[in-house]
Amino acid sequence: MEKLLVPTICKVDKVIQETPDIRTYRLKFRDEGLMEQFTFLPGQFVEFSLLGSGECTFCIASSATRKGYFDCSIKKAGVVTADIHTNIEEGDEVGIRGPFGNWFPLDDIKGKNLLFVGGGIGLAPLRSLIQFCIDNRGDYKDFTILYGARTSADLCYKDEIKEWQDNKSLRVVLTIDKPEETWNDNVGVVPKILEEVVKPVIENTSVITCGPPIMIKYTIQSLLKLGFADKDIITTLEMKMQCGLGKCGRCNIGSTYVCKDGPVFTNEQLKSLPDEF
Amino acid sequence: MSFSTFVTDKAGLQKFYEAILANNETYAPVEKFGKFDYKRVTNLSECDPASPIAKTLSMKPLFFPRSAKVMKYVATSSGTDVSEVDEDPLANKRVVLGVKHCDARSLQVLDKVYNWDYIDTDYQKRRMNTVIISTRCDKADTHCFCTSLDYDVENLDALDVRVVNGSGDKIFISARTAKGEEFLSEPVSGHMSRITDEVAGPEMKNQYAAFAGSFRLKMDYKEVNARLSKIFDTPEFENVSGNCVSCNTCAFVCPTCHCFKISDEKVKDTGVRYKSYDSCNNGYFTLMAGGHNPRPAKYRRWRQRAMHKFVYYKERFGENLCVGCGKCTISCPVNISIFEVVNQVSVSMQE
Repeated sequence: MEKLLVPTICKVDKVIQETPDIRTYRLKFRDEGLMEQFTFLPGQFVEFSLLGSGECTFCIASSATRKGYFDCSIKKAGVVTADIHTNIEEGDEVGIRGPFGNWFPLDDIKGKNLLFVGGGIGLAPLRSLIQFCIDNRGDYKDFTILYGARTSADLCYKDEIKEWQDNKSLRVVLTIDKPEETWNDNVGVVPKILEEVVKPVIENTSVITCGPPIMIKYTIQSLLKLGFADKDIITTLEMKMQCGLGKCGRCNIGSTYVCKDGPVFTNEQLKSLPDEF
Repeated sequence: MSFSTFVTDKAGLQKFYEAILANNETYAPVEKFGKFDYKRVTNLSECDPASPIAKTLSMKPLFFPRSAKVMKYVATSSGTDVSEVDEDPLANKRVVLGVKHCDARSLQVLDKVYNWDYIDTDYQKRRMNTVIISTRCDKADTHCFCTSLDYDVENLDALDVRVVNGSGDKIFISARTAKGEEFLSEPVSGHMSRITDEVAGPEMKNQYAAFAGSFRLKMDYKEVNARLSKIFDTPEFENVSGNCVSCNTCAFVCPTCHCFKISDEKVKDTGVRYKSYDSCNNGYFTLMAGGHNPRPAKYRRWRQRAMHKFVYYKERFGENLCVGCGKCTISCPVNISIFEVVNQVSVSMQE
């Protein structure tokens, strides 16, 4: 076990200030051979160490179809994340363990319409799947991304969103919670825009959603109201994790280990778990 | 396969232990401040294999250390050097004497989680290289309830060699596994006589019957498993956990609790990563950056503790995560008993 807790050193290739409190760290293994071997699927996570400060769990925010690097988008939220924001710059080294956990049900969503519903930093895990699906665009039908944040400044991946907007095979709907002078797009919380603007096709559509707990809660309510089945609503859970190996005992919900059986669950699966997440 | 049984007396048992000590890396209960902890010993006078159960800590640290170094690292001008720590001090071939049956059983329970998915090879190696010599208790202590749980205490095969007190001065020493059979070869058993099951069996049965009759605590674990699995929201968890001071002692002394934390400590450019015991009773255990905590209240953490032991682990791995040793209750500064907790909650569901 002890050996499984030793991280591998990665170099920070690039730091992108996404929002006032979110930074994306583009990472490459110091050992180039390891970088080539490193493979993961959308939805998986890594344990990210700032040596001396601690280790945190982050989803991988990019897709392995984009080779030679992987991204972690980190919101300043606690002690270690604040340390990361303060201390980690381009060229610095961090420790990585992983990838861990399950992934989005790639076989189930093949051939379907895709509807991504993201809020704030919740777009990070979705981005891994969005990139993966864009890189395999022929495998999917309609492709819609609904993304919202509190303010326009809090929208992540602004440059990439422009690329998505320019991509004629994608429909991108953006929203912010309250009106702003320079904002000419949708205003309103994600579930409201989902019902009033997106008006999704229900049939043969998989919905993949992630965001703050409150957004997920109301988004799922809206989706069910619109007629989606629980099994077609897919989300990824945030739980406190440390080992990522199904051993340290933190992330369980009932007898389910989120680090092994998750973090990706359908709403059907979530309904069978005790209400403790 | 059939296993050997030997008969001897107190002096013979002493000689048996001495022979073990002379030829093996040996661990046994060593007294300090009135409490017994399993330590490396080289002389029988340093330890007491018959240490009282209520005063003996679990041998779990011999397999899952209380706090272990995972790695060291040095930040240099050219980058970060990570180095694994020195060789595992617990990986050698070794023998543990004076193990209590409940404590031996806990290893079978822990095997499930350590051998699931990612295999804990350090644990496995420690386990494989250890011979467990266990004495069957003659009398239950106040908080013992091993005989009420989901394992066969009388015929336990979680230990390799079993020592049972017979009538008079007689002591029976039996192999219980192939590893134990091999261990009981000439060098340690040469001074003892072999005895058949026909002769030793009834005496060992009598000893067990007297032991099994001495329990104050009795419960129907199947009933507890079944009732707890049907409930989640009950105010009873608040009632039973009210006095808890969240000191985590129960988890630290428990032979089956296996939660741990990973922590880094750095002084200047040199750091160490530790893997240390942690507990679900700790309020920070599931607290996430940003403030969300799925178990923010004490009763929820106690519910997790009770349910993990009697429902979740059973669902996942087929065993109760409790061996009925009573260590948590003995050590609890506010006298909370896991036995009472699960029974009280179960009974409240019946009414």
